[in-house]
Amino acid sequence: MIKGSIHPITEFLRTAIKVFRDLGFDVYEGPEVETEWYNFDALNVPAEHPARDMQDTFWLKNRKVLRTHTSNGQVRYAETRKPPIKAVFPGTVFRNEATDAKHETTFTQLEGLYIDENVKVGHLIWTLETFFKEIYGPDAKIRLKPSYFPFVEPGFEVDVKHDGKWLELLGAGMVHPTVIKNMNLDSEKYSGFAFGLGIDRMVIIKYGIEDIRHFRSGDLRFLKQF
Amino acid sequence: MKILRSWLEDYTDIPYSDEELAERLSLSGTAVESIEKGIDDRVVVAEIKRIEPHPNADRLQLATVSTGGQEFRVVCGAPNIAVGQKVPLAQIGAKLPGGELGKATIRGVESVGMLCAADELGLGDDHSGIIILSDTHIVGKPLNHYLGKSTIFDFEITPNRGDCLSHFGIAREAAALLDKQIKREPMSVSTISKKVSDSLEVEIEKTEICPQYQARIIENITIKESPQWLKDRLVSLGQKPINNIVDATNYIMLDLGQPLHAFDAEKVGKKIIIRKSKKGEIVETLDGVKRELDNKTILITDEKKPIAIAGIMGGQNSEISNSTTAVILEAAEFDPVSIRKSAKLLNLSTDANYRFERGIDSGSVEYALNKAANLIAEISGGKILSGIAKAGERKKVDAVKIETEKIRQLLGLNIRDDQIIHILKLLGFVISNDNCTAPSWRRDINTWQDLAEEVGRIYGYDKIIPVKIAKSNKPKESGYFFDELVKDILKKNGFSEIKTYPFLSEDDIKAAQIKASSLLEVANPIQQENKYLRNSLVPNLLKSVAKNPSFDQTFLFELGHVFTKDEEINVLGIAAAGKDAKKLIEVTAKDLLDSAGIKDLEISEISRDDLGRFKIRKPLTYVGEIPLGKFADKYLETNQPVLKINTDKVHYRQVSKFPAITRDLAFIVDKKVKPDEVTDMIYSVSDLVNRVELFDEFTSDKFGKGKKNVAFHLYLQMMDRTMKDTEADTIIKKIVNKINKEFAAELRK
Repeated sequence: MIKGSIHPITEFLRTAIKVFRDLGFDVYEGPEVETEWYNFDALNVPAEHPARDMQDTFWLKNRKVLRTHTSNGQVRYAETRKPPIKAVFPGTVFRNEATDAKHETTFTQLEGLYIDENVKVGHLIWTLETFFKEIYGPDAKIRLKPSYFPFVEPGFEVDVKHDGKWLELLGAGMVHPTVIKNMNLDSEKYSGFAFGLGIDRMVIIKYGIEDIRHFRSGDLRFLKQF
Repeated sequence: MKILRSWLEDYTDIPYSDEELAERLSLSGTAVESIEKGIDDRVVVAEIKRIEPHPNADRLQLATVSTGGQEFRVVCGAPNIAVGQKVPLAQIGAKLPGGELGKATIRGVESVGMLCAADELGLGDDHSGIIILSDTHIVGKPLNHYLGKSTIFDFEITPNRGDCLSHFGIAREAAALLDKQIKREPMSVSTISKKVSDSLEVEIEKTEICPQYQARIIENITIKESPQWLKDRLVSLGQKPINNIVDATNYIMLDLGQPLHAFDAEKVGKKIIIRKSKKGEIVETLDGVKRELDNKTILITDEKKPIAIAGIMGGQNSEISNSTTAVILEAAEFDPVSIRKSAKLLNLSTDANYRFERGIDSGSVEYALNKAANLIAEISGGKILSGIAKAGERKKVDAVKIETEKIRQLLGLNIRDDQIIHILKLLGFVISNDNCTAPSWRRDINTWQDLAEEVGRIYGYDKIIPVKIAKSNKPKESGYFFDELVKDILKKNGFSEIKTYPFLSEDDIKAAQIKASSLLEVANPIQQENKYLRNSLVPNLLKSVAKNPSFDQTFLFELGHVFTKDEEINVLGIAAAGKDAKKLIEVTAKDLLDSAGIKDLEISEISRDDLGRFKIRKPLTYVGEIPLGKFADKYLETNQPVLKINTDKVHYRQVSKFPAITRDLAFIVDKKVKPDEVTDMIYSVSDLVNRVELFDEFTSDKFGKGKKNVAFHLYLQMMDRTMKDTEADTIIKKIVNKINKEFAAELRK
């Protein structure tokens, strides 16, 4: 009998999703081929704004895009629901660029969204700290650095201290009032946080994988190690 | 964007080390990507004495250079060197951004050092040729005596912070962190009595495209090289000096963030008009390219002709030349969206349009114009005419209500009203009662949430206390949980999960005989592999089977989305090739039915022709594919699958390009020995063990009482070449000895 195996990205996602699941988060998967609205406009990324250049986008001939982030799930998920809204969105995302050991066209993200009355930055910090303590152990620490993503305000780059080193692991922030309005919610009454974790990078760090392209190589010499 | 520390210090004293400054700026929103310390002392000014051809390579030359006392012969590949030039010589041992320089033999000739291009010294990205230094640089002196003395910070500025794209802008941020506000020095301009208004007027067709436009005229200038200090600063930041006028405009842009342009006054009429282009209008830009325009590009024209594409690039017909004696100096504000659209359409990316797209300081257009005019007058001997030709004005900015209570609430910070007001003032906000107005350099402030960010980033996010989120019930399991259950069933049956790209290339669709017309197509693929979106998982499964020839049995599955013109669905695909493939895939299909309710999974054998097209050498290959949606819905009606977390230890070993040698080992050990312990021990013997796989474990009295048999597949490999059998034998011997010793085991022959 030969031994089967589960992809390391799948394994890591399970570990991550289990943590959020225990905190009461739903799991939702949006589409990979997405309208410009859900991928950009609904998230306060207007056309002809330099923020659109923050990622290289695959445009399809039918004017849709391959989603550049799992944030496309934010408005899709929340527009038909009422707060409290708590969900994570795992999925494949795309960048139109040349590939090498550090660059991929296709990779995996886990987005988190929490919307309710009086959600504040402290909630985001607690949630991420809880998550990283589960993943990296009780010594894990996080710190927020101001950053810019059009769909959050304030926006953060989040560093995680692991084995004595600060790693830049994710973007996060408080959901922008325009995005909350696009969810058909009252932005005066509700606030929320969102974050987006790059799963490939975390798996690379976990095992010391030297080339990101192994994940999609279909090479059993790589895959059967997990 | 590169910033010189010494230039920042023109504006504000900085009591921090480079690393502290970088960290503080990063933590308050201007991220420092890298710090380049000054150029190493072992990079010196050298003069080229002789150049000879390289005996073994047409493209290389041998340059003999002198550092005053000594001569060195170096191999050089750059085409721009000539005898008599002064060039940077990196001597052996010099620490360069690319690493420490050692002695090298290049195509059979020893090179004692290296002549450097800009990028090799960390001065920008230019690798087109060796830096040619000025005559005034003294041979033998360390280069950092002239340039590259100061630390260079490389910032990654987010698109909302156009105000940080200059030395003054970064100095303003650094000062705010020190609880200081820096103000611009007042700028007075000494002019001659001759008036600009006698020879130039400005007209803006629509202020939406150009809110303000200002121009000064400077006469009696002499075009020449810029003074050394100016050239050194530009070169340090990776810019190429051109002449004193162009250098001055570039310098002020790096200084204040305001792009400027200088026209040869003699080549421009008496009126400057800012208007949109007409469809098909042609402008020849400074780079010598004739560009045909749409009807939306902003143009700078005189009465007769376009003289520049506004905010992007000047026109050749009004370019500064060596005979220029008078210039019209332009400082303006253009609509960011128009500039961005035009730059994209023209496929041009300049320092100017980068700044205009992100928004310049609408309150300092005139200031930058005056500072640049003064600099030009100083370094060219020119006289500034009195007055400014101008049109338009700075747009009014709406006030934002401060909402201190909401700011406290959103951040979760205990910060007093007066502290909030203090931070806003420090950042240049004008406060009136409950409202504030953003300074002219900030274009990203529209709501109280934007103010919250300003307060938070300066006050310090590290002071926010974590707050537990409210408990809630676990929501019902979604389709995700069903997918994971399916993966576990497949793993149990010996299948390995693959994740492939959701793309197909022309070659793929040829091999799979798929019609392109049925596929979604990518409009702008950079790589040909990414041309179409898959409508089936099978082509990539078959490609993966072909990629694993070293496995006798290749059992693979993928769960992923496939796409047609009308829909995107979640599909399971499985492939089995090699020994027992048919039997095992059928057993698995049965298990999927029994354990997950997946019905009607049809298994088909791949035809000989298909195998040939996919270059699969295993004769028996089977595949099946089925959408999962309806089975998930059905299953989840009555079941609540739980995520299974694998806790097996992983020994990650890099995969070699070269083939592995496989060996099987079976040991008789005590019944109590865990196979994992044996596996761990085998891995610990050598890094050349790529994988250890348990394939058999059973007890039998024939091994002796309380004994069992454990058997492993071993895969041995080397990273740089194919392993020899004798080398494998040596490792296997070591492993056997170790296992025998540690577990009182016996090798089963």
